[in-house]
Amino acid sequence: MSLDSFRSSSAPNSKRTLSFSNSASSIRSNDNNSANNKRKKMKTTATNQKTLGVAWGSNSSSSSRKPPFSDFGSYMTEKNRKLHNQFNAEASTSSFSASTSGKPIFAGVSIFVDGFTVPSSQELRGYMLKYGGRFENYFSRHRVTHIICTNLPDSKVKNLRAFSAGLPVVKPTWILDSVASNRLLTWVPYQLEQLPNNQPKLSAFFSLRNSKMSEDTFTNALCQVEPDIEDSSARVGNSKDRYSSDVAKVVEPSWQITIEADDVVSENTDAIMMEEQLTSVGVKCDEEDPVGGSNDAAKDVMNFQGELKPNNEEPSTSVTSLCSNDQNVNEIASSSSTRPSKQCHSTLSDPNFVENYFKLKFGICNVQSSRLHFIGTWRNRYRKRFPIPSTGFDNEISNINASTVSGNAVVIHVDMDCFFVSVVIRNHPELLDKPVAVCHSNNSKGTAEISSANYPARSYGIRAGMFVRDAKALCPHLVIFPYNFEAYEEVADQFYSILHRCCNKVQAVSCDEAFLDVTHSKVEDPELLASSIRKEIYETTGCTASAGIAGNMLMARIATRTAKPDGQYHITPERVEDHLSQLPINALPGVGHVLQEKLKTQNVHTCGQLMMISKVSLQKDYGMKTGEMLWNYSRGIDNRLVGDFQECKSIGADVNWGVRFKDMKDCEKFLTSLCKEVSLRLQSCGMQGRTFSLKIKKKRKDADEPAKFMGCGDCENLSHSVTIPLATDNVEVLQRIVKQLFGNFYIDVKEIRGIGMHVSRLESSETSKQEKYNLKSWFTSGSASMEKQKHPIGNGHDKQNMDGTSVLESSALQGSSVQMDNNIQDNQASADRISTPPPLCHLDAEVIRNLPPEVFSELNEIYGGKLVDYIAKGEGISESSSSLRNSLLEQEAINKKEELLDVEPIPQKNPLTKIEAMQNEAEGGEAVPDSGSGPSFNVTRNSSFEKDDLLPSSLSQVDGSVLRELPEDLKAVIVQQLPAHRRQEICSNVALVPPNENLQVALGVKNSENPGSTHVLNESLWAGNPPKWVEKFKISSCLILKKLAEMYYKSGLTSTLSSVLYQIISEFHQLNLAHQISDDSVNITCELLKQYIKVKIGKDIEEIYICFRLLKRFAAKSHFFLQVYNGVFPYLQEAVDDNYGGSLLITR
Amino acid sequence: MERRENQTPQGQIARVLVEFLEVAIASVVFLKGVYPSGAFERRRYMNVVVQRACHPQLRYYIHATISGLLPFIQKGMVERVAVIFFNANDVPLEKFVFMLGVNLSYGSTVEEVDLQFSLRSFLSKLSISESLTKKLPPDSRWEITAYFRSLPEAGTSKEANLWIPSDTKQWQQPPLITPIKSMNCEPLCLQLYLEHPCLSESLL
Repeated sequence: MSLDSFRSSSAPNSKRTLSFSNSASSIRSNDNNSANNKRKKMKTTATNQKTLGVAWGSNSSSSSRKPPFSDFGSYMTEKNRKLHNQFNAEASTSSFSASTSGKPIFAGVSIFVDGFTVPSSQELRGYMLKYGGRFENYFSRHRVTHIICTNLPDSKVKNLRAFSAGLPVVKPTWILDSVASNRLLTWVPYQLEQLPNNQPKLSAFFSLRNSKMSEDTFTNALCQVEPDIEDSSARVGNSKDRYSSDVAKVVEPSWQITIEADDVVSENTDAIMMEEQLTSVGVKCDEEDPVGGSNDAAKDVMNFQGELKPNNEEPSTSVTSLCSNDQNVNEIASSSSTRPSKQCHSTLSDPNFVENYFKLKFGICNVQSSRLHFIGTWRNRYRKRFPIPSTGFDNEISNINASTVSGNAVVIHVDMDCFFVSVVIRNHPELLDKPVAVCHSNNSKGTAEISSANYPARSYGIRAGMFVRDAKALCPHLVIFPYNFEAYEEVADQFYSILHRCCNKVQAVSCDEAFLDVTHSKVEDPELLASSIRKEIYETTGCTASAGIAGNMLMARIATRTAKPDGQYHITPERVEDHLSQLPINALPGVGHVLQEKLKTQNVHTCGQLMMISKVSLQKDYGMKTGEMLWNYSRGIDNRLVGDFQECKSIGADVNWGVRFKDMKDCEKFLTSLCKEVSLRLQSCGMQGRTFSLKIKKKRKDADEPAKFMGCGDCENLSHSVTIPLATDNVEVLQRIVKQLFGNFYIDVKEIRGIGMHVSRLESSETSKQEKYNLKSWFTSGSASMEKQKHPIGNGHDKQNMDGTSVLESSALQGSSVQMDNNIQDNQASADRISTPPPLCHLDAEVIRNLPPEVFSELNEIYGGKLVDYIAKGEGISESSSSLRNSLLEQEAINKKEELLDVEPIPQKNPLTKIEAMQNEAEGGEAVPDSGSGPSFNVTRNSSFEKDDLLPSSLSQVDGSVLRELPEDLKAVIVQQLPAHRRQEICSNVALVPPNENLQVALGVKNSENPGSTHVLNESLWAGNPPKWVEKFKISSCLILKKLAEMYYKSGLTSTLSSVLYQIISEFHQLNLAHQISDDSVNITCELLKQYIKVKIGKDIEEIYICFRLLKRFAAKSHFFLQVYNGVFPYLQEAVDDNYGGSLLITR
Repeated sequence: MERRENQTPQGQIARVLVEFLEVAIASVVFLKGVYPSGAFERRRYMNVVVQRACHPQLRYYIHATISGLLPFIQKGMVERVAVIFFNANDVPLEKFVFMLGVNLSYGSTVEEVDLQFSLRSFLSKLSISESLTKKLPPDSRWEITAYFRSLPEAGTSKEANLWIPSDTKQWQQPPLITPIKSMNCEPLCLQLYLEHPCLSESLL
């Protein structure tokens, strides 16, 4: 008891005084536990002190001779103080070092970890440190708010209040899940399911799923999705282990979070210029064609700002010019409004665009994000405008296939001529033959890049991607226009309206470029069609377009090359070879400058030369895929289909312009926003990824400041990647991963010139979506999962048949619906089975009343508010009927069963033919023995799984041989469940069956040797929940029996006899006072024990052993128990001998 | 993950069980002190401290014997696995019996976490069960014996041929049983108990 002094000794509550020895026992075990801890701790403290002593010994001898603590209590006080100090110190350092990682979600939570947990208490302590919680090494009612444990010893469960002092006892998953979802979840569903008092039914129901998940907690944590602003509802659907009661709460807080995050990000981008996010291209397609992504307008602005600085040679003037530019300011203002459009960008964009992007990238490391943004968002607009064709493709693909094979396919490639320029100058006819370029900056000295140049300008050698200053040098009178995005949109829409009018198979490549499959269109001459399309485009938009016609997409595009500008060209199959032979290899899609250089070393400059090389050697030199591609393309073979949708392989974002970091903090901020961007891109594609790679461009040691202002210059590319088990698009998970990846680089942030993040191993987020977030959907989804489950169950593989609490029992026999009793598995099984909420009358009022309020209100909603009335009504009933089983409800359930009986069970289609045969044979019966294995058996109740099950109302429907094969407990239950008047009947019927050595045992209708107690003999005392005997004993006149029943409730309804007997120990002195011992009560107790042996002997000899050891102890003191013990002992040994071939050695 | 999914629950159970038995038998042997305690090293299994034999031959014997049982456990043929300790005259003194019951018709997947939780309790209980056992005389030896429900037909498989009928001496009287631990975690039912010769016999 002295140990108690450090646990809050003021804790003793009324319970403890009530049952003194109970709490004593619980304290004992508790102390054991903490004493263990203590021993360890003491050791460490002792060594600590020793080292301290050594360290300080030289200069302060007093410290080493510190007087011992006066008593244990003061020692513990001191120790606790130290532990707290330690914790505080660690907490402050950890929160300092991991500034952004740990949001103090556990503020105000102080946990005490009891016993063995997964994860270990140290890990939990780590979480507490990180997320602002507290961790107590020793229990204190005042300091601790939650007790964390995975398992409790029986004694603690029984005396929960003494143990927990009324504090919630929660499983560690709570902490993990809270960390995963980055907010404090309600602990209610995480309560320890062992606990008897807090609506064990439903909480167990929850916690089972929970524990099932616990294996994957970490991975699940990763897939837990933080709802985001734009599609919060959809994303909630992604999280796997949300609990129904949480849903509503989930959405709101995270809204706030994301909004906050947004703010932070925009501040960042506004404030720090170098954080400019020229996020380039997002998606990579099959053929390594990265497909267009875009950027948000805010980042555009930064781009402008950057460009508006005169240039890097004159840094002194840059600031003023920056500020003096009106346009700049305007842009900033508008940025806020355009920002939201970010989410609309489609990363599914066209391969063509990306090619352009890569052309642009020759030698330079950047791209006009604004244009990218436009193109990116354009795709989305396009989707909205022309939604039907894209779906139409799928249906027609087979046709396309056929036509491609037959070789007469006709594909037209339509491409607007220098789209960005011609749209801008369509209203300036005077500029038609002047060199014009589009660029976001007109500064003739700037390093802004030309985005597009018209043909007159191109004749000066001006190319897209060129710096303005270089272009101006080539052509001083070059006219430079800024972008006009409205116009682009308008023209692009017109362009596609025309295309869609002319052809029903259109594959959009970019805003100004598309493929048409005219194979099956009625037009005879594709050239005629092409020219009419071009004419219409010109008339409508004022801009010219070129068209290439050929047998496949590759050739059509190559034809367009020849056709440009403002022309069309038809490559007929005969001319393919001619055309290709002189074609430079870089005209082929997929041949970039690296590949080109490589080929050049082989002296390959044209496709004709490429054709000379065999496929094998190409594949050897350039890899299987590239080799094959080169081989095919050089021959004009292209198997892509118009409208063929290429699946995303990876999604990501790269920023390699303007990346300059001052310190780690900048970098972290940047990474955070990059993750956000990537996450948004993932979401907009409806994808989740498992592999995350972070690429970093690091300035080479000897590299100078790049020519391009804020460009990346000469860099080495570093990359790290990690694969996680569960796909995610959650921004917070991404951030965590990225932070971890970044840590792997060991890089000076000042040397970073570009960062990219890519997500691959994509999975559609649809598949991982599960809607299990409220009870209702749970119920409905239950039916779906049932379909799957049916099979194994139908095959008799139901694991629950093996123990006393089978599905059969719960769904069929006890029948009354929400029977969330017995064991957890059962609960789940029966709940899964409920495809619609059970009828109101089937609900256990007791259970409902004990539900947590939020669950209750949800259930109430499902029942349309009737639940409240029902409970109010039920108040009276439930008081009188201690067991639901006996109530009217039960009767109704039975009636229902009788109705259902008319339906013959239809045997499930069964893969095991043997069993099937047997099933058919026994179709009339409800259960079929599985002869293959003794203990298992087959139950065909396929048609009736939903809620109530059928039970034979008359014996004609019970096959005696079937009944015999059932395990005893099940049999007992069946017999017990029959209406009372039929019971006799069935017993006699079974007796007609040829005797079986186990029959009596199995039936639980044992004929006792004691004729005095016939009134109990016909039923199983251990069936039901609470078991029959409890009620019987409760109304008994014998004090001991009454006590037993009482103890059953005290023991926490665990329905093990040993727990009841343990309880008895505490009140044993009272029992001794009872002098009147009737033979009847001895007999019935013997019967109880015998039946218990029957139930347990096969599976749990330990339990029986414990019971009898206790009984033996009792027998030494109580005449009653001595009689019982002696009465049952022979039977026990007989049973043990039967089952184990030996006799039980019972020591005390 | 994928590998596990392809398995039947029985196969999965059997694998877990075999691994567990290997550890548990090593613990039993350690507990009985047949070998000096230095012959064992502390290891962590299922997050509890267990003892593992250091000597390669000892380790191999346990490993090979138990993993040889795998196919039979899978088929549900093994009823009991006993670790029998003999005195110098080859009379069994004590048996640690693992009684196995694998539900062969169990269909759904097995939660290994649940299983581990139950199995762990065996290991912790075992480590404190020394008081239940009897001290072994010097020169005692031990062996692993498996009791089959039916004899595997020789020649049916390679594994079956590895097993020979045991000529272990039997007790004349039914033994005394002291249960150590029982678990019933679908589809596995496992019980561990001690068998001692009954008193009259031990006097002989």
